[in-house]
Amino acid sequence: MINTLKDIWTVFSIEVRRVFSDRMVLLIFFLAPILYPFIFCFLYHNENVENMSIAVVDEARSADSKRFIHKLDATPELTVAYRCSNLGEARRLMNDHEVRSIFYFPEDFSQRLAEMRTARIVVFSDMSSFYFYKAALTGGNAVLIDEMHTIELQRYEQAGLTNEEAQIQMQPVVMENTTLFNPTGGYGSFFLPCLMILVMHQTLFLGICILTGDARENRKSLHIIPSHLRRGSIHRVTLGRSLCYLLIYVPLCILDLWFIPRWFNLPQLGNLYTILIFCLPFILATIFFGMTVGNLVVRQKISPMLCFVFFSLVLFFVTGMVWPQESMPRFWYLFSYLFPSTPGVQGYVKIASMGARLSEVRHEYMVLWIQAAVYFSASTLILSARILLRRRRNILVHNLRQKQQSLAQWQKKR
Amino acid sequence: MTMKMQGIYRVLVRELRRIWLNPRYFVLMTLGVAFTFVFFATITKDGQPQRLSVAVVDMDGSYLSRRICHEINATPGVKVVAVYNNHTEARRAMQRGKIFAFYEIPKGTYNDLLQFRSPHFVLYVNSAYMLAGTLSYKQLATMGMLATGAVQREVYRKKGYSDEQAMGLIQPVEYDTRNIGNPWINYGNYLMTTLIPAVIAFIVLMHTAYVIARERQERTMKSWLRRAGGNTLYALIGKMIPYTAWYTLLCLLANLIMFGPMGFPLEGSWMLMVVNSILLVFAAQCAGCFIASAIPDPPLTMGISAIYSAMSFSLSGFSFPVESMPTFFYSFAWLYPIRHYYQNFCDIAIFGNGFAHCWPRFCALMAFGALLMVGALFLRWQMSRQARLSVQPSKTEAL
Repeated sequence: MINTLKDIWTVFSIEVRRVFSDRMVLLIFFLAPILYPFIFCFLYHNENVENMSIAVVDEARSADSKRFIHKLDATPELTVAYRCSNLGEARRLMNDHEVRSIFYFPEDFSQRLAEMRTARIVVFSDMSSFYFYKAALTGGNAVLIDEMHTIELQRYEQAGLTNEEAQIQMQPVVMENTTLFNPTGGYGSFFLPCLMILVMHQTLFLGICILTGDARENRKSLHIIPSHLRRGSIHRVTLGRSLCYLLIYVPLCILDLWFIPRWFNLPQLGNLYTILIFCLPFILATIFFGMTVGNLVVRQKISPMLCFVFFSLVLFFVTGMVWPQESMPRFWYLFSYLFPSTPGVQGYVKIASMGARLSEVRHEYMVLWIQAAVYFSASTLILSARILLRRRRNILVHNLRQKQQSLAQWQKKR
Repeated sequence: MTMKMQGIYRVLVRELRRIWLNPRYFVLMTLGVAFTFVFFATITKDGQPQRLSVAVVDMDGSYLSRRICHEINATPGVKVVAVYNNHTEARRAMQRGKIFAFYEIPKGTYNDLLQFRSPHFVLYVNSAYMLAGTLSYKQLATMGMLATGAVQREVYRKKGYSDEQAMGLIQPVEYDTRNIGNPWINYGNYLMTTLIPAVIAFIVLMHTAYVIARERQERTMKSWLRRAGGNTLYALIGKMIPYTAWYTLLCLLANLIMFGPMGFPLEGSWMLMVVNSILLVFAAQCAGCFIASAIPDPPLTMGISAIYSAMSFSLSGFSFPVESMPTFFYSFAWLYPIRHYYQNFCDIAIFGNGFAHCWPRFCALMAFGALLMVGALFLRWQMSRQARLSVQPSKTEAL
């Protein structure tokens, strides 16, 4: 037992020295997880598109259409930037990206209203970003609903109904909408919690791969293995190294997942205790995952940056935050559970944005512990296999040399 | 002129040989592009997420509430996975991520309706899941509107109105939406047309930085530059050519598949898209060359390249518009080739605009070529300094 602890301590202290003497690892372990959350929080500070320029083409030129246009202008989402005389002019403005949406009131707009037929407004929206479309839709729908009430109420009053009777006639069933969690529907509140976990996952993973690659490149393939260790006790190396990363990432975790969301007014319904308890298996699983991949495939110090960074995009999509997991093809659903980022992001979003307690994220929590256990054994096994292979090769080389020497001696004798 | 061409040619041959001798990363990166393409193509193949889980809290337990359940189930895009008895259960299911939205039908709804009192239905939506929340809200709200509309129409019919009149009474105004560039609101179209080129640009940049950093690591800088006749610019150009050609080919192939068999709309001309793709790869490579030449430490080169280009996806502005970001980032986005590519793509594919709209962005992409020159200067300065340093000790020794 004491030997185990001693070995872990030795490996740990060597690893700490390696981390702090490598500029690239410092960049990835410290600069990226501190810099990125700040940059992205500034980037998405305006949660929604506000005052998007639109053009209106009012061929009806009536009191109804004027009122409608005024109401559009009054929404927080839209600003009537141009009033065009015809549709061609408005389309040209849209092609020049001066406006992102066009509201076109045809000539018969008021006539149809007066005849009690459904009047139509044609809305053209720029689909280059769905946020333009969303702004046009949100602003437009708010005005539409309001305007419908106004018109109906007018009609019932003309028909001689009292206000209350009219209300019932208009709406036999009242629909209320309530947005639970992320009430403004903002992009920042949605994206930033996912980003925090992804940044932690990717930097930790990359840093470990780089350290492994560095060791292998410099012919220290079995780096930091105390010489007396045998195959069965390689887990001491895995534990010692992971202890080093764990101690670095727990403070970063508190900064990224607790303080930064507070400073930038991101959703933060969970408490620090829950977040820490949840993050422990997440960090461990990521560490062991990184060590498994590192021991398995990484041969160079600089290649992990080339091969793994663009993968963050796939990792983000596979978490199910954008495309729900139930709607994914089965294969990608199973694929997503290879990575600790999937349960990590889902669990953290549930805790931070939706106020879930540990009992509500039990599934993710269990998955993370299982991943940690599996990847711990995998990385240890791979390392032992490598040691075994190398020892065998060394013996072979040794034998070969001996044979060559004896051959040479024999030839000399002759 | 022939001397210059020879220099470039010799470096090109050397680079091709290096790729041939160690094709691992070349193959891996190509597979990476292919994987990303297949990933996004298969995951968004339905256009929009289907079968979103929603629930109903039925506190009324009447004939009407059960009918509403059935009607929600019949709404495309959503499915009722559970019927709960109280609000708390539904909220907890939402916190567990089991459902994205639920309707709450209060006690006494059916009685209220029979007695001409408007009952209140409440629709709860979880916006923490952007797409799923918005879509399930849209489907359920439409369903709600249609359901109340159906009740109203029944009343008007019995009063002797025609169907058109009834509709005019129920819905005096309606929108006729024309979505330019993506009429079906297809997410595959929206995501892939920008993300795939963005991934290619990202990989090109990293790969270019990697091959130069690798020369430094293997201490083969001198032999590389000697092949180019000592001219660092030709050395860089010769080294870039195989990657430019290959990644441009991949980018064009991806565009060909997207606008061809996958049927994403391309309003404008093909030629402009080809020019756009070529310039994107070129500009990304120049940025990579610049970083790798300016920073003499190979690992640091890769670190800085990754930190720089990891933000390209956000600053391209296709997910959240750059115009709505703080002003500083609005100008910062100009430093990313993919930003210009995306703007050109909007002009060409969505609005069908011609060269008159695209040329400033084409110029901006070509201006990245200046980075290549600066990179060459850096390289030259480093080499001459190294030469001086390596000459000086021998002089002192001789003395």
